[in-house]
Amino acid sequence: MAADTRALTSTGHASVDHSPVGGLAHDARGGISNPILGMILFICSEVMFFSGLFAAYFSVRASYSNWPKISADAGLNEHFNLHAEPFYALGLTIILVISSFTCQMGVWAIRRNDRTGLTRAIGVTLVLGIVFLIGQAYDYATLGFGLSDTPFGTTFYTLTGFHGAHVFGGAVMLSVILYRGLAGQFSSRHHDAVEAVSLYWHFVDVVWIALFSTLYIL
Amino acid sequence: MSTAPRSRPSSLAIVGWLVAAAIGIVLAAWVVLHAGTIWNSFFPPEAKSVEGQEIRNLYDIVFIFAVVIFAVVEGLIIWSVIRYHRKPGDDDLPPQTHGNNLAEITWTLIPTVIVLFLFVVSWQTLNSVEAVSPDPGLKVRAVAGQFQWSFDYLPADADGNTKALFTVTAPVGPDGGLVLPAGEVTHLYLKSPDVIHAFYVPQFLFKRDVVPGLINQFDLDIPASDAGQTYRGQCAELCGVGHRIMLFEVHAVSPADFKTWMDKQIAAANATPPPAPSGAAAGPSIPLVAQNVKFDQTTLTAPASGFTIHYDNRDNGTPHDFVVLDNGGAKVYGSPTITGPKVADFPVPPIPAGTYKFECSIHPTLMFGTLTVQ
Amino acid sequence: MATTTLTPAASAYRTGLYEWLTTTDHKKIGILYIVNSFIFFFIGGLFALGVRTELAQPGLQFVHDELLYNQLFTMHGTVMIFLFIIPMLVGFGNYVAPLQIGAPDMAFPRINALSFWMLPLAGILLLMGFLTGGAAQAGWTSYSPLAQDRPLASTGPGEDLWIMALLLIGTSSILGGINFLVTIFKMRAPGMTMFRMPILVWTVLVTSVLVVMATPVLTSALIMLFIDRNYGGHFFDPGGPNGGGGSAILWQNVFWFYSHPAVYIMVLPAMGMISEILPVFSRKPLFGYKAFVFATAGIGALGFSVWAHHMFTTGQVFLPFFSLMTFLIAVPTGVKMFNWIFTLFRGKLTFSTPLLFALGFLSMFLIGGINGAFSAAVPVDFALQDTYWVVAHLHYVLFGGSVFGVMAGLYYWFPKMTGRMLNETLGKVQFVLMFVGFNLTFFPMHQLGLAGMPRRIADYASDAGWNDLNLAATIGGFTIAASTLPLIWNVFSSLRAGKPAGDDPWEANTLEWATSSPPPPYNFDHLPEIRSERPLFDLRHGRTVVH
Repeated sequence: MAADTRALTSTGHASVDHSPVGGLAHDARGGISNPILGMILFICSEVMFFSGLFAAYFSVRASYSNWPKISADAGLNEHFNLHAEPFYALGLTIILVISSFTCQMGVWAIRRNDRTGLTRAIGVTLVLGIVFLIGQAYDYATLGFGLSDTPFGTTFYTLTGFHGAHVFGGAVMLSVILYRGLAGQFSSRHHDAVEAVSLYWHFVDVVWIALFSTLYIL
Repeated sequence: MSTAPRSRPSSLAIVGWLVAAAIGIVLAAWVVLHAGTIWNSFFPPEAKSVEGQEIRNLYDIVFIFAVVIFAVVEGLIIWSVIRYHRKPGDDDLPPQTHGNNLAEITWTLIPTVIVLFLFVVSWQTLNSVEAVSPDPGLKVRAVAGQFQWSFDYLPADADGNTKALFTVTAPVGPDGGLVLPAGEVTHLYLKSPDVIHAFYVPQFLFKRDVVPGLINQFDLDIPASDAGQTYRGQCAELCGVGHRIMLFEVHAVSPADFKTWMDKQIAAANATPPPAPSGAAAGPSIPLVAQNVKFDQTTLTAPASGFTIHYDNRDNGTPHDFVVLDNGGAKVYGSPTITGPKVADFPVPPIPAGTYKFECSIHPTLMFGTLTVQ
Repeated sequence: MATTTLTPAASAYRTGLYEWLTTTDHKKIGILYIVNSFIFFFIGGLFALGVRTELAQPGLQFVHDELLYNQLFTMHGTVMIFLFIIPMLVGFGNYVAPLQIGAPDMAFPRINALSFWMLPLAGILLLMGFLTGGAAQAGWTSYSPLAQDRPLASTGPGEDLWIMALLLIGTSSILGGINFLVTIFKMRAPGMTMFRMPILVWTVLVTSVLVVMATPVLTSALIMLFIDRNYGGHFFDPGGPNGGGGSAILWQNVFWFYSHPAVYIMVLPAMGMISEILPVFSRKPLFGYKAFVFATAGIGALGFSVWAHHMFTTGQVFLPFFSLMTFLIAVPTGVKMFNWIFTLFRGKLTFSTPLLFALGFLSMFLIGGINGAFSAAVPVDFALQDTYWVVAHLHYVLFGGSVFGVMAGLYYWFPKMTGRMLNETLGKVQFVLMFVGFNLTFFPMHQLGLAGMPRRIADYASDAGWNDLNLAATIGGFTIAASTLPLIWNVFSSLRAGKPAGDDPWEANTLEWATSSPPPPYNFDHLPEIRSERPLFDLRHGRTVVH
């Protein structure tokens, strides 16, 4: 009786694979593992969420020929001119991009079973993420305009605010895998959570790059 | 499964079928008797505008396709149901057809051709309906507020924001409504100070949303032969608690009658002096606030020797007024209209003692109260 | 590796209320979804009866306050869409899809439970509006500026509760969609390639893609509206007391970008269900399986391109594109219709209650599709938009379509879920009453819309000529209500004393019928070989074996 005794659900098996997803955790039948596929789909849904917000931003922007100087109050228009001084935000961008690199270094570390490397890298990533959040909060405090100050204020704070919320969520997730990493729960054969969180962190970084370009450059 | 012959239907089934047949016969008789009305009910009303007639022609084309497609497809369903009933005791499988590529291609291609045809025909009609004349005979701005229509008649070189020559504030009735010249093109602008409304006249087979923050516009061409007719219109986009009462009328008149009417309205608008705030108020001043389409008081007391209403309209962009009616509904006093935010004094001449109703004539169902004159 | 059966006597086995409250078993969660959805079906139905009672005659008789009337139809639409039909289909998908692919459960069972329990919570939040000064009353479409916190618009917490409830429901949906996708992609039994999956699983797959891609856009719209209402935002307020500058049309665009794919979310799984039922009761396979799959995917994709056909009368959208795409979506829908009919054609039909409801689906959805084509012709839409014609259209596709599909699915899968058959006579009584009542309610609405009766009005002029048709529609509405009585009686009496069903009472084709009724907690002791989309049929006719 040639019974098919392969498991129906995923178990972690590291396998050398030359496909683009090689290195990601595989289940016994090939392909990425359930939690990682779940995270990818979740990221897709988050992309659509931010698309809605970006669509609103571009739609509102398109209806003003003098964006962002759309306030009747000239003083306010000064503050809206983010193009004039993008350097602070550029600093935040660099911090976040570096944190993506450190996060990926953590992933590479655990793939070769380097637990210390993992915890160090995730630790640095988490610190950088928190620095970003503090930096964002400081920026908010000194911007000089609020959410209810014309549609520019509304779209600016909504876009950056929800991005910040996602960074916060990512920081929580990084804390969890940092804790689990310190507790020795990850190995080269079993580290789905690290892969998933790193995918999410890269997503958060990409959204910020889009935000930064849109709000400060374009 | 058994191979017994088909059993006699139960008494319940027989009664059921008899009842169904009886109902069917009664229904069929009713349908035959009312055939004309029933047939007409599948179509919009006879179009009373040029654009409406084009829309009706398009509707008729779509209708033909709809009936044919329904007959064919529903016919296939009913045929299958009748013809392919499984006989009791028949356990053999029918031929296990998995599909047929030719059939798939056929019923993909033919519907594609049909919908493309319908699309092209409707696009052509759309271009015709949306066409705007460079030289309309009249320009009017229909203003939809919560919960009343008013109509601003504009000069010939106006755009959507130009000040009106005069305004018709009563949306229905012989003294109000949207008066238009039949046989000429009217260009309509739609404006709203508050929420989204919709300008809808069923007999024009047409509606267009009135969106705050922008001005929609379109041409309306009523044929000359329809002079003298009145058409009912209504707001067709939910706008709040007064949505159902936002009615209006369109009065189509001959161009000659229209010119007479328009000249009279312009003269009346120019002749009326603006209400001068009275330095020497007649009698005590009674404050009255109009806010959120409501008065702040529903009972007022005033002396018979005359009084002044100190009227504070706090509704941004919304016109209100102050009208006093006697118990028979006759108007005893009517103030001018003021559009908020604005404060004005209305001196009311002496009225005999008694109980009266006061209201805002623009929002009579929401703004009213009792006035006791002593 | 031998499989061991957990016996019910095992001490770790939980029973009763605690089990139902804490279960992560997709079958129980599926039943929870279905029961919860039926409760909201009745609540939404009561709101509809309120509307119909008021409209039966001209004059305001029962609802003295138009504000209450506006709440009734707003909550009717909201409850029916978000708390009845979408979760009901998720419930059936939850129960049946893992069984049909031979999986032991969903990919993320605990998230599955979370997704469910968010729903009763959201329902309570939504209905709380009635107790806090007025529920939402700007229509289920909640257009701005009527939805803004302004005088004569939506002051009070009702609209905010509406927003929060929908945010919860949306999150529940998205998590569920991710769950279904991972389950379907990753947990199929050996031998079940994608093109051997039952059609219901395909429709759940496409629906889940729509859920994951479209629902977040609604989330963004709801959040933006909440910001406008509560934090002085200016997304959607064009004028008004706080400075304005936003766009009312922007709300419509973002809202309909979700809400149009939502209508496919509401109908595709029902189409999947009848695609299971028609072959079984015709005793032949579904005609054109692959065409069906492509048509479903095509509808899903095209569904993202038509949203502005809800906005033709705003004067602010590019009409020809959206008209063309709307017309084109009729093509894959037609392909499915013909494939269903040719499943029946030359078959041997048994007129059980599931088949009756499936046939009702075909005819009623046909009417709904045809009257939709009128609206796709833009100038005709200028006459018909925002009138009762649209109410007729949406109910023919959502009630005549989805609800009939749900009823078919209920009668078909009840035996599997409970081990008992539903009574056929009561089922047929329900079908006749529901079919007649449904058509009596909604067919006259075509006439009413053509004659010029707008939607969402609490009352109408007595000399408009709309009295008789409204009265007929109200009688129909109460007939629909009456038709639910045999259903309720049927369910309760069959649960107690219905005929035992056995594993496979219908001589069906798919894997859920290859296990006991109800299935054991881990679904299957053994699985047949899977060589086609009808593994049980193959087994029954000696083409495969069980391992």
